[in-house]
Amino acid sequence: MSDETAMLREPWVDFSRQREAGKFGIWVFLASETLFFGALMLTYSVCRIEHPAAFAAAGRETNIWYGTINTAVLLTSSLTIAVAAQGAESYARLRRLVIACLVVTALLGLAFIVIKGFEYKEDMDKHLVPGAGFALPERAAQLFFGFYWLVTSVHAIHLSIGIALVGRLVWVLLRRELPVTENPEIEVTALYWHLVDIVWIFLYPLIYLPGRSS
Amino acid sequence: MSEPDKSGLTVRRLWTRNLVIWAALMALLLLSLVSAYIPMGRITTASGIVIAIAKSMLVVLLFMELASARPLIRLAAMAGLVFLAAMFALTLSDILARL
Repeated sequence: MSDETAMLREPWVDFSRQREAGKFGIWVFLASETLFFGALMLTYSVCRIEHPAAFAAAGRETNIWYGTINTAVLLTSSLTIAVAAQGAESYARLRRLVIACLVVTALLGLAFIVIKGFEYKEDMDKHLVPGAGFALPERAAQLFFGFYWLVTSVHAIHLSIGIALVGRLVWVLLRRELPVTENPEIEVTALYWHLVDIVWIFLYPLIYLPGRSS
Repeated sequence: MSEPDKSGLTVRRLWTRNLVIWAALMALLLLSLVSAYIPMGRITTASGIVIAIAKSMLVVLLFMELASARPLIRLAAMAGLVFLAAMFALTLSDILARL
């Protein structure tokens, strides 16, 4: 009961209502994020339908190993944060497990950013930035890489926010400012993290897989 | 005495459940990687998208626990998808008709 009082925030009078509202709020936010990334992916789809050959040639230029390893890294981070969120919901007092899983999640997120950095370096060395001196002869390949740079950087910003949120959770939980059991902030942060993972799940076939079979 | 046993059991159940989902996600990732190299024309492109949808369904329904969420939460999640579907359907019906 004292745990619940510590976590109760204005304007709620009741902790279970606060949890429900927080969960509802993050899902509404995630729905808006779906539309935001969906609009970008629709733009990609239209360009690809109009220039299939150029998109295949551009897709072949991306580094499939960086892309695949990063997908595996993010999927694994979704596993650890799911365990953290479900562990926090159980009454078995799994404080150490929850905090450890959150730490691993943040580290996997950082690993993704570092791998992405190496990939960006390689892309720049291969002159895959649209504009003067672009590597590929197909003009529409620049549309592909315009999408690539825009959407991967927006995704990286989302992931960085996620790492900051998870890092903050670890900090307040370690200092015992907030309890672990039934803490709604863990659940809400986990839901946001999963959405960032889902966005990448869709970016993977759009960016790395075109043109591999031809 | 029974407390550590109980939490041990919970921990094992937690990991078993989620590791199975994770293994399925990894298998699907491998499948999409392999199928991208098999020349099947449009089916190759479609397989990448279909596998991505399958992976996201696993994450949304099981990791994000939408399968066991209350109707209000499911409605909020569906709202985004409905508007997304409208956006794709209206745009692509124009683009594809003009090819």
